[in-house]
Amino acid sequence: MGLVQKRQYYGLLFVAPAVVFFLIFFLYPIVIGFGLSLTDFTLLKPPVWVGLQNYQDLLNDRLFLKSLNVTIGFVLGSTVPVWFISLAMAVLFFQRFPGRELMKVLFFTPLLPSVVVVSVIWKLLLHPSGILSSVIGPIVGQMPIKWLFDLQLSPIMSVVVHDWHIAPFYMIIWLSGLTAIPPELRDAARVDGANALQSFLRVELPLLKPTAVFVAAISTIRAFQGFSIQFVMSPSQGGPLDVNTTLGIVIWKYGFQFFRMGDAAAISVVLFAFILIFTLFQLRLGRSDDFSLS
Amino acid sequence: MASAKPYESDWAFEARLRRRIRNLILFSVGLLISLLFFFPVYLMFSSSFKSEGEIFAIPMHWLPHEFQGLRQYQFAFEQTRLERWYINSLFIAAVQTIATVFFGALAGYGFAKFRFPARNILFLFILSIMTVPFQILVIPMFVLVHQLGWHNSYQGLIMPGLISAFGVFMMRQFAYNLPDELLDAARIDGASEFSIFNRIVMPMLKPAAASLAIITFLFSWNSFLWPLVIAQNRDLVTLPVGLTYFSQSLDREPLWAVAMAVSTMATIPVILLFVFFQRYFIEGMMVSGIKG
Repeated sequence: MGLVQKRQYYGLLFVAPAVVFFLIFFLYPIVIGFGLSLTDFTLLKPPVWVGLQNYQDLLNDRLFLKSLNVTIGFVLGSTVPVWFISLAMAVLFFQRFPGRELMKVLFFTPLLPSVVVVSVIWKLLLHPSGILSSVIGPIVGQMPIKWLFDLQLSPIMSVVVHDWHIAPFYMIIWLSGLTAIPPELRDAARVDGANALQSFLRVELPLLKPTAVFVAAISTIRAFQGFSIQFVMSPSQGGPLDVNTTLGIVIWKYGFQFFRMGDAAAISVVLFAFILIFTLFQLRLGRSDDFSLS
Repeated sequence: MASAKPYESDWAFEARLRRRIRNLILFSVGLLISLLFFFPVYLMFSSSFKSEGEIFAIPMHWLPHEFQGLRQYQFAFEQTRLERWYINSLFIAAVQTIATVFFGALAGYGFAKFRFPARNILFLFILSIMTVPFQILVIPMFVLVHQLGWHNSYQGLIMPGLISAFGVFMMRQFAYNLPDELLDAARIDGASEFSIFNRIVMPMLKPAAASLAIITFLFSWNSFLWPLVIAQNRDLVTLPVGLTYFSQSLDREPLWAVAMAVSTMATIPVILLFVFFQRYFIEGMMVSGIKG
């Protein structure tokens, strides 16, 4: 074996700490996660093998089925509006006009507080005697508005808070996509007589396709993991009457409130399946050079 | 030629007017929306200087009428273990950030510049980790940490986030572009592989490492689910978990001004990072998108 050949083995040394770490803190948990989903396990006694019983039970599990509905609602509300709002804001901030830089920073601020902080701020804003209730209440002729206690309003508010927090993030992604389009293309379209809207729809949007797929896929994958806003902002962690109980909250409830680790693991596997579908969708539609964002 | 001049200035006037109107519209729309987005953050900040009674004043007070100075902040420190939560969050974030950047660079460099057996399959393994969100791992991770006897300990809080697959992936992308000639030249000069990593690779990866450090810090600083389930011991509570004590109290109305003071405190490090490292901050945020 030559010297050059031998040197290559140093690579193994360099990657070893990370690889060993992931064998212990990723592969092993994944394996026991699948294993646990086939057992009854309460942490106190050793797991008892039940086969696919947990999965079968899920089909009749009221809370789980409810959470599927809640999660799908949250995913829809957290993706489609975010996609349009963040794109619109990126197009706006792509224009030159006085005060743009300051406004961009103001628009960006919702991203700075953590999700928990965001949820606490909005819990105050949406308090029955809070600001939003006192401003909007008189308009709709209802005082006070119990935003977070109303079965219809409450999940909508989770979506509003999420979208408010995350839209600036996707705005930045869109903006970098817009910046990457060669200005000549836009100019050429304008010379050919296209107006701003036509040039946007025919020239820029098609070129933004990778960004568009990226934003759609990533926001979907993230929305499936919805947990913190619903946990912190809604009364009684996912309430009222479980209208904010996402899959993430059910996993937490079954795992850490009822100590039904087997059921919680089975729901985790189901959630994994959902996310995997959208990951594959992203990998297929989006090109692998999405990393050129950097 | 006298007639051409007024025509020209008419045209210029019209163009200027049109630009002014366009600017005015963009300015107004932009201002309206950005103020709408900024308002809750402003409210957090201004409320932290109000008295509890003033929080629900109608109509709302844009500026505190009974300015409390730092009293609510002081109260938060006195009534809760805020400094402990703060130190815990900072400590955990610091350890995870340093480890993620170091081991990420180490492994990223290894994957980018060496051809060793099983390299591709190992890298594929790392890539596949990125597609699995923590939500899904929380149950088995909890069981594992229990098995290790690490629940209610700093190891338990820190270890699952010590190295990130995304960190390895990101550093590999950047290490891949390092010039091979430079590395080979150092080898010819007799430098050992580790000193090449230390003295040449690490310094050249600094911009990427800065972005990775910032997003790792933010990720750790904001993490909620794992500290929530793994640390029941009151000495191990982190800032996000501690903050929920204010908003979750069922028996009485939360002390909102104090909660806003703690929220502001929790956001200050992020604001500092944003102000002082804006470029790395934004870049880090953008590449972190693929983390999912």
